[in-house]
Amino acid sequence: MISYYAKLGLLSIRQNPVLSALMVAAIATGIGACMTIVNIDYVMSGNPIPHRSSLLYHVQLDSWDPYEAAEEPNEPPDQVTYLDGTALLKAGKARRQVLSYRTGRVIQPDGDGQLPFQVSSRSTSADFFSMFDVPFLYGSAWDKAADDSAAYVVVLGREVNEQLFGGQDPVGRNVVMNGDTYRVTGVLDNWQPTPKFYDVSNQSFGEVEEVYFPLSVSIAEELSSSGNTNCWKPVPETTWQAFLNSECVWMQLWVELHGETERSDYLAYLDAYVESQKAIGRFPRPLNNRLYNVMEWMQNQEVVESDVKVLLGLAVLFLVVCLLNTIGLLLAKIMRRAGDIGLRRALGASRNAVFAQYIVEAGLIGIVGGVAGIGMTMLGLQGIRILYGEFDFIDRLVHLDWIMMSTAIILAIVSALAAALYPTWRACGIHPASQLKSL
Amino acid sequence: MLNMKDVSKIYRTESVETHALREFSFDVDEGEFISVTGPSGSGKTTFLNIAGLLEEFSGGTYELDGCNVTNLNDRERSRLRNEKIGFIFQSFNLIPELDVFDNVDVPLRYRKFSSAERRKRIDRVIDLVGLGSRAHHLPSQLSGGQQQRVAIARALAGEPRFLLADEPTGNLDSQMAESVMELLEDINRNGTTIIMVTHEKNLAKRARRNIFMRDGCVSNNDSALHLAASSA
Amino acid sequence: MEIGPIWRAMSRNKTSYLLIAMQIAVTMAIMVNAFSIIQERSRMMARPSGVDEDNIFYLSSIGFLPEFDGRSASEEDLDALRRFPGVANAIMTNTVPLQGGGWSQGLRTEPGEEIESIGVAVYFVDEHGIDTFDVNLTQGRNFAPTEIMMFDPDANGARWPDKIIITQAMAEALFPDSPNDAIGRTVYIEDDLPITIIGVLQRMQAAWKEWSGVERAMLVPMKRKQNSFRYVIRAEPGYRDELMPQIEKMLAEKNTGRIIRGMTTMTETRERSYLEDSAMIKLLVFIVGVLTAITGLGIVGLASFSVARRSKQIGVRRALGATRPAILRYFMLENFLISSVGVVGGALLAVGLNVWMVHAFDLTPIAWYVIPTAMLILWLVGQLAVFGPARRATLVSPAVATRAV
Repeated sequence: MISYYAKLGLLSIRQNPVLSALMVAAIATGIGACMTIVNIDYVMSGNPIPHRSSLLYHVQLDSWDPYEAAEEPNEPPDQVTYLDGTALLKAGKARRQVLSYRTGRVIQPDGDGQLPFQVSSRSTSADFFSMFDVPFLYGSAWDKAADDSAAYVVVLGREVNEQLFGGQDPVGRNVVMNGDTYRVTGVLDNWQPTPKFYDVSNQSFGEVEEVYFPLSVSIAEELSSSGNTNCWKPVPETTWQAFLNSECVWMQLWVELHGETERSDYLAYLDAYVESQKAIGRFPRPLNNRLYNVMEWMQNQEVVESDVKVLLGLAVLFLVVCLLNTIGLLLAKIMRRAGDIGLRRALGASRNAVFAQYIVEAGLIGIVGGVAGIGMTMLGLQGIRILYGEFDFIDRLVHLDWIMMSTAIILAIVSALAAALYPTWRACGIHPASQLKSL
Repeated sequence: MLNMKDVSKIYRTESVETHALREFSFDVDEGEFISVTGPSGSGKTTFLNIAGLLEEFSGGTYELDGCNVTNLNDRERSRLRNEKIGFIFQSFNLIPELDVFDNVDVPLRYRKFSSAERRKRIDRVIDLVGLGSRAHHLPSQLSGGQQQRVAIARALAGEPRFLLADEPTGNLDSQMAESVMELLEDINRNGTTIIMVTHEKNLAKRARRNIFMRDGCVSNNDSALHLAASSA
Repeated sequence: MEIGPIWRAMSRNKTSYLLIAMQIAVTMAIMVNAFSIIQERSRMMARPSGVDEDNIFYLSSIGFLPEFDGRSASEEDLDALRRFPGVANAIMTNTVPLQGGGWSQGLRTEPGEEIESIGVAVYFVDEHGIDTFDVNLTQGRNFAPTEIMMFDPDANGARWPDKIIITQAMAEALFPDSPNDAIGRTVYIEDDLPITIIGVLQRMQAAWKEWSGVERAMLVPMKRKQNSFRYVIRAEPGYRDELMPQIEKMLAEKNTGRIIRGMTTMTETRERSYLEDSAMIKLLVFIVGVLTAITGLGIVGLASFSVARRSKQIGVRRALGATRPAILRYFMLENFLISSVGVVGGALLAVGLNVWMVHAFDLTPIAWYVIPTAMLILWLVGQLAVFGPARRATLVSPAVATRAV
């Protein structure tokens, strides 16, 4: 019977090619617009480190100005001072802790033809790699001893290794940066958490850094952050040491904690630490420490652009318009064939049979619209890629994974059926007798 | 008052020419009640369409109420239809979304009557056809006979000189048909000229004159007399 | 003229009309809010930065060798740059308007950390700053060469000079009661270091376009000793593009202890800075365009259906005396009524959506004239869309009335 209805449906679609095309186009455009934005929102609000996101906590201490919150209404600063960061790192009260900040270095290749080039770098303690589950192509991270002794060791990103060593295993070889020689301990495999959760203060969706070396080295080298540095209190002197001792926040501190107990214990520890600092005249504000896990932190930092949310709202309404359009057209089409339906009913078609016939026809339009909608989504994402082409991370946002692909298909079918349901129901309501008299 | 002279109507498709009317000549005097009969395909409806200015014709001349309508444009023809002609159709042709009152109002809206004038006329004709109590019923809530009465009321509301009726009882049972016929006869007695196309001989007989059409021509113009005589 | 019966006829067949009205309403809600966002963004993009955007470009010099001497290198570079044919002027500074990264500081009219400070963007310049940026000094005077402070972090000397030039917007923020009296007044930086205002600029934007105080900036007469810095160069009109590679080459060859990076024009900086906004505008225009087209096509489709379904009725009306224009008018009027219901609903929906968006995303509320404009547009779209089918309706022959079904 379905094949009979499908035949009738195809026939009816062929009879009104322009109108059917309009319906298919409306559904396809609606799905396309909606899914394009849904996909971008989905990628932006995605979990950058799914298997560990609930174990990793971003530390915030309210060391700010007594007269003004770091951010209204009463948010603590989103980075930590050198004093607090290193104190907590040294205390080691969590399972693991990482203190890091973004810097820039100039690499001087030793080959003749190659010119010095600038790279983004991250100065960090060694646990960075294990805590954030960073994959290695060659070698490994440096060890704690290197941290403690401020050893000149470096982990290279895959591309830098490609550039310097042609992609060969460079472990144990040397790299010169800003005149200093570093020994390579490892090379990262492809790694790009989206968003770049461990430091969203620059670009939430930017590339990860190209090289990594010990925090202790960059402190000794007096390297300031290439990210944000915020101070509420004047730094009394202009020396590096004065800056390190200042109330300026410029470093990101993450800790690894398993379970609610560890979390509350650590929070209690933070409070105790702040109380001890209050005793020596720091931390003028009331206790206001925060421990957010990865997804909570992404929410707090609003990494999803508000533009995307606005567009998402508009795109959903867009789909509504397209569906209203399709409902209207299907209804008109069915009402125009009221006589035909009445006749079929008079000839013995049951209400269910009429329902089946029209739902199959509407479903056909829906499926074609849905498939075209996936095409439109890809087109839409390409359009976004062109529009925002200057952003190097845009490629990651316009990637359509299989989850979104199937969401698009399901959305298409659900939309089409939703659009078909009302007109079909109306068709079922057509009385067998009513249409047989003249119009 | 209605004079057709050598009117012809040819329908052309790519390969075929159909002569629906061939040099058709016909005169109607004021106050007549004429029935037009003939087998199907004889040109009855074409005649009616041309007489009612619903269709243009291919040759000949046609004068309606002293006015040569041969070369009128669409707007003028519409005005003539509206003011001088009332139509009654076989399938009533009421507008399904409008109630009785609004249906009767349709032709009046195309004339620049004041709303008070329209209301007066509508109330009068609805009462005339005996549907005063149903002014706000929809066509679907009325019987066939009642629907045709609404159609007659609509045709009369503009006080036309002519009533053109196309198988007015074709969709009605005999009892309803009878009451509609009586209504038409009443109207004719009050001075309105009626031309009625029908294929029912016993209805045709009730007209004062009958023309019988065959192949687009009047085949027997005064058979009415004969019919009238035989019925007497 | 015949609104009554049309309205009554429509109300007996509500659903399909209601569907179009709803479609128009939602379209209008989107249109109004999109337009409101577009307006806001365009206004933001239209703000002048105050500097000579057409002729300025800038680049970074990053010293990487330990023996690189930033101070002497910058002196030599600036000397060479200012002599370079086609260069109008050049300075060493920290950033440029719209660049995205910069330095901000707080200024107070009274000393003391408990006094609220007013944030201001900092540009470190020498006496060529005003000329290089080509900003307009409306009051007071420029820095004298002798007033430029040489700053060395390791020397641990004074942290700030004693004179600054501020923008008019900063003067208004500091002295709301007498903004035109700023010259010669003392303000305090870093809680309690006094500093005197010697000049006021008409306008110069900070580096952060989304900052609410974007027009609050100050010029600080200071050359900082550091190994990485930025040169801002203003070319003589028309020379910018040919100068850029020449200057890059000249600087790279002059000193091998540093690399030259990020050669960028102000024009590119503006484009990049407003990329999201201009992309958003394009997206919204596209969305509204497609949506209006879909709604228009939907109206065409439904009106065509409606005309086809009612062809008998049209014939009857023609037989009863309707002229062709009367039939046209009927359908146009019908559409006008549907559109009216749609745009009235749309106005309510648009305001509702806007209230939510203002609340959720800090957007500006809709300007009053946007709603009537959108109404007018949608009325017009409806009338245009229905015109085709309505014209086809006028071609229905009155003879249809006598045709058996």
